[in-house]
Amino acid sequence: MARLVGIFELPAQVAAAVKQLRGRGYTDIETYAPAPFPEVDDAVHPKPSKVRLLTLIGGLTGVVTGYAMTIWMSNNWQIMLGGKPFASIPPYTIIAFELTILFGGVLTVLGLFIFGGLPKFKIDPAYSARFSAEDFGVVVRCREQDVAEIDALLREHDATEVNLVES
Amino acid sequence: MTPPTQPVAGMIRPVPMPPDSQTNRDLLAVMKGTSAGYWFLLGLSLFFMHLAGGIWIWQVYKGLGIAGYAHPIFWGVYIVTFVFWVGIAHAGTLISAILFLFRAKWRNAINRGAEAMTVFAVLTAAQFLGIHVGRIWKSYFILPYPNQRGLWVNFKSPLLWDTFAISTYATISILFLFVGLIPDIAIARDRATGWKKVLYTVLALGWVGSSSQWKAHNRSVLHLSGLATPLVLSVHSVVSWDFAMALVPGWHTTIFAPYFVAGAIFSGFAMVLTLMIPVRRIFGLEAYITDYHFENMARFILLTSTICGYAYMSEYFISWYSGVEAEQTAFWLRAFGPYWISTWVMIIFNTVLPQLLWFKKLRVNVPFLFVLSVLINIGMWFERYVIIITALSREYNPAVWGEFIPSWPEMGILAGSFGFFCTFFLIFLKLFPVVAIAEMKEIAIHEKAHGAQGTH
Repeated sequence: MARLVGIFELPAQVAAAVKQLRGRGYTDIETYAPAPFPEVDDAVHPKPSKVRLLTLIGGLTGVVTGYAMTIWMSNNWQIMLGGKPFASIPPYTIIAFELTILFGGVLTVLGLFIFGGLPKFKIDPAYSARFSAEDFGVVVRCREQDVAEIDALLREHDATEVNLVES
Repeated sequence: MTPPTQPVAGMIRPVPMPPDSQTNRDLLAVMKGTSAGYWFLLGLSLFFMHLAGGIWIWQVYKGLGIAGYAHPIFWGVYIVTFVFWVGIAHAGTLISAILFLFRAKWRNAINRGAEAMTVFAVLTAAQFLGIHVGRIWKSYFILPYPNQRGLWVNFKSPLLWDTFAISTYATISILFLFVGLIPDIAIARDRATGWKKVLYTVLALGWVGSSSQWKAHNRSVLHLSGLATPLVLSVHSVVSWDFAMALVPGWHTTIFAPYFVAGAIFSGFAMVLTLMIPVRRIFGLEAYITDYHFENMARFILLTSTICGYAYMSEYFISWYSGVEAEQTAFWLRAFGPYWISTWVMIIFNTVLPQLLWFKKLRVNVPFLFVLSVLINIGMWFERYVIIITALSREYNPAVWGEFIPSWPEMGILAGSFGFFCTFFLIFLKLFPVVAIAEMKEIAIHEKAHGAQGTH
């Protein structure tokens, strides 16, 4: 197996190249970008990020925890105030709200870690500091006999250069 | 589609490095080198921070009496300063979250500085709760934890809401700052050497900017913004309820939550200007933080100042219209009683002077904006002083009225809070990019792709 890195200058070129590569059946593709560009990210991963699932779980856990904790604690240590119920929902809504945000936020960041593959202990040899400058990279893994085809395809989409890297 | 003429392994060569991009060089240059002036400022900040630490230890030893806590005023300068710093902390999340959701692209140049400021301001504010309670070794009693007394905290108390609001706000703003920083730390990692390389390698968590990472990152920032938007509005509302839930004349009004939130955004934007104007000047960032950004912030200041002015007037109107004698007396004494100077400082600095921003010439006049932002900060500190002190010293029964003069430990710790805040901000300036580099590149690459017709 071989890996090719195409260097691009513009996100639209990257997106077009990735789409054509996928169309030709090359699915082991990774892109490196200096900034977020939805067209690039959607070309590689067409489905929406699953981070939203974790935000939802976090938020729901927070609201349930907030109400459950406050209501249970007021009933566990009962303070009678004018014969009213021990649990008082309006002020507890504030606690439930804050915990919704807190748990939702923490789980969102956890989602970033899980679905973004962080922390990553080994950095891909195809990655280079130029991708944290202003260049885009398209990394394709392919059989050795396909190298020439992919090389031509990447250059067709205005890759400024195409390099081979260790796989 | 001919097969390669030589074995693939022979064709492998390291990817050649072109010169670094202009954006990287300009923005990473802020972190390089330290001048004598920097060390002087850092030394001064550290001095005040330690001075306040010393005073605080003395206060723990002697008790809150040395801070002038005496009947009827048990909420003094510490609470004033607490509310002040919580207010300052509002601009960062507003710029990062709310303007992000509104797709206001001009936020990109200032959001990082504002987010960092938010985190340090919240941390400064949180300390005042500990300083104010006196018996610091019992301050954890505010948390609902299982204990041998079988006792739980009272969730009906605004102070409990405050605990949850402030700790949630601190956590979320730290996460927000860190998530935004990850791609920029990776930029710094790729270019750093020595111990900084180690630090950035750890903090960047192996970020490479792959599509799955950006996808998850984009989604997380969107969701954090969605969560932080109601949060930022709730935090100062909850702080205002610390007052509004009490029956003290001058505090007991329903307008407090929006009034405090507007004031918080107002003071926060002023603080962003106070910090970013010197940063831009010293590090030559005029190409990134332009007058256009300052003008937009000036517009926000004008809007929030007008809301504050409306709130001030509405408070006076309602106290007159209500016919409640205690309220009327409280507001009369506010303007013409023993604390009249604070009240007029607040009114002039917060509502009269910012009205000058209706003139475009002044909105783009950077020295004017700097002076105005400092005056607004002073005015907003006095606003909290007026609200807290005048109300407490003149409650219902004239027999227990009192006078309040700030004590030297209070003023020392107030100065120390600025020292603490500045120390962290100065260290942040040299360790992390103060302008979000990846977001600036997003704009730069966009302009490269579509020609330079965009003005953001």
